[in-house]
Amino acid sequence: MNSYIIETKDITKEFDGFKAVDGLSLQIKKGEVFGFLGPNGAGKTTSIKMMVGLLKPTSGEVLINGQDMKKFDKALIGVCPQELVLWDNLTCEESLKLIGDMYEVPKDVLKGRIEQLLNDLILTDKANTLVTNLSGGMKRRLNLALALVHQPEIVMLDEPSEGLDPQSRRVLWKYIRSLRDEEGKTVILTTHLMDEADRLSDRVAIIDHGKLLCLDTPDNLKKDTGEGDVVEITLSDAKMNQKVIKKLKEMENILSVIDVEGIINLRALNAVSKLPQIMESIEETGERMADLSVRQNTLEDVFIDLTGTRLRE
Amino acid sequence: MKFLSIAIKDLKELLRDRRGFIFILLFPILFMLVFGFAFGGMGQSNTPYKLAIVNYDEPAILPASNESINFGDNLTQLLTDAKYQNSDVHLFNITKMSESDADQLLKTRKIDAELIIPNNFSQSVVALINYTILSTTNPLAAGQSNSTNITSTLIIRGDTGFINFGASQGILVGVLAQYQDEIVTQTQNTLKGTPGAQPITFLNSKVEPIAGTQNFTTFDFIAPGMIVFAILLLATTVAASLTREVENGTLARLKLSKMRGFDLLFGGLIPWSLVVVAQVVILLVVAISIGFHWQGGTDSILMAILIGVIGGIASIALGMIIAAFAKNDRQAANLGTLITVPTSFLIGAFFPLPNAAIYGFQFNEILPWTHTLAALRSTLTYGGSGDVLYQIGISLILTVILFIIGVAIFSRNRLSAEN
Repeated sequence: MNSYIIETKDITKEFDGFKAVDGLSLQIKKGEVFGFLGPNGAGKTTSIKMMVGLLKPTSGEVLINGQDMKKFDKALIGVCPQELVLWDNLTCEESLKLIGDMYEVPKDVLKGRIEQLLNDLILTDKANTLVTNLSGGMKRRLNLALALVHQPEIVMLDEPSEGLDPQSRRVLWKYIRSLRDEEGKTVILTTHLMDEADRLSDRVAIIDHGKLLCLDTPDNLKKDTGEGDVVEITLSDAKMNQKVIKKLKEMENILSVIDVEGIINLRALNAVSKLPQIMESIEETGERMADLSVRQNTLEDVFIDLTGTRLRE
Repeated sequence: MKFLSIAIKDLKELLRDRRGFIFILLFPILFMLVFGFAFGGMGQSNTPYKLAIVNYDEPAILPASNESINFGDNLTQLLTDAKYQNSDVHLFNITKMSESDADQLLKTRKIDAELIIPNNFSQSVVALINYTILSTTNPLAAGQSNSTNITSTLIIRGDTGFINFGASQGILVGVLAQYQDEIVTQTQNTLKGTPGAQPITFLNSKVEPIAGTQNFTTFDFIAPGMIVFAILLLATTVAASLTREVENGTLARLKLSKMRGFDLLFGGLIPWSLVVVAQVVILLVVAISIGFHWQGGTDSILMAILIGVIGGIASIALGMIIAAFAKNDRQAANLGTLITVPTSFLIGAFFPLPNAAIYGFQFNEILPWTHTLAALRSTLTYGGSGDVLYQIGISLILTVILFIIGVAIFSRNRLSAEN
């Protein structure tokens, strides 16, 4: 019995000399929520496409449940793409029935499954409504339902929160957790939202420019980056950042001070108690502060620590 | 039965996109109406064709009366007087002229056809009469005699790429065959002693055009071509529809499932074939209502639908090939038009193409629609005469080959994992 449901072995994807994915090796466990965190264009969707068989890797190998991509059972995977992929002139029920038929779900099972999904995703009233007449949020929920109608063991969600309002996002997150906790499914989600990756994922892989930067639980990743708080300082003149950074580095018990896209990023244990000292040091340089904020360490700080830049939108 | 689910899905999408569906049916009807107006449909009376006669004939002596007669003049008069059946409209507007003048007018399409009567035409008619007399009175001697066999060749000259020549030629061949038959019949009747019969009177024979050229107008020739043109245009619609599925990502969703290429393409074939049936029926109704002289009965309509469906499947296959290469539905529509319109000309949908050879290869012969059109014309215009079954057979074989090619190319380019 293989404990890894998906394994990628050094997969690379090149498009006209550009490496979208560069030697990605992953092992995804059964029943976990696995988060792919990275900025837009990092290679998350390309990696997902190779994992589901839509795209051939330039090199490397993908194993699904221990089997080669050519042999694996397609019913194992359900994919919810980032874009809305729906048939405008079919109703919600017809769309679900079509996909159920394509996965050879027995008629009686399919009927019950469709009813359940429509109910869970609050679409029962819209069962016979044409997709073209649904609201954006409803279309998103149907997009997700289509990935689940055949009850796959692996659910791949590509940027599932894209375009959702905060309330719908919370409903979706609750549903994703229930997929893991109640149905025992493996969920792989790609996101550029650190909050989403942090709250939902059992493990997070951070990738950028097609390369895996690190892989661990969100807590471990944050711990590795360094415990403590983050102080973000914006000067009136960003050109003076280096001068101020040099001064701040002279302080005791400061973990790190770096310039991140024009903002001074300072990490320290119990940063709040050090704020008077920090402000004093800045005053000594003769520079003026435009803004200052203190927050807890997040996955974004992990990303900053690894790349020196913020997650790009 | 995943293909059935695909067929139902495609049918629903097709019918629910009402504007698109109406356009699919309406567009060919507009073409039919335009061509109907332009080429003599729309309930107008038949048009006389402009025929130049070059008469080189020299008189010959009639055996019964020793009278000298120029049968060339006689034939000219007969063609001048001939009218469409049940109509006062003459078949031809005749002008007698020299061969060089007639050739010149043909080149500028000021006349539709030129009939050259050879100098031994009268002799051959007299020979025919003599032979008929001999074979009626003494069949044994007629069988052994070769002396009466004088053949003259009438030349029907014209521009084979000119639709009016096609129509004139069809009528002339019918009239000349009738002329010879009448000579034989009248000679036999005279010998049997029909009271008051004069040898000369049989030349005033009544013209009854052969089946298929009765009231023949250019539109009768074009209408089946319009049907095939509509069927060919379907390739563009099918290509755009398949490409839209690629563009929207819905094809990728289907690719992830257990659906096979066969399910998608065979499933799609069913609703599009129903569209072909609807198109053929609607176009036939429109064509007949604006003056298409449809031959045959209900059987020929059913046969036309069957032929249409075969041609339609070929168009669907062409649509798959286009969709395998087009990147979006606009590209599919443009590429489709770029292919289907020249193909329509190549197969002779609008006017006959006598020589479609490209580097010596008769390219149109390997196109299934050439045979679809030939079968459709034979069935609807010529009343089932000719080689209908042969044409259907060839069309079917070429369609199957094209469909296999279409499925293979579409599956390779669109249904396998992308590189």
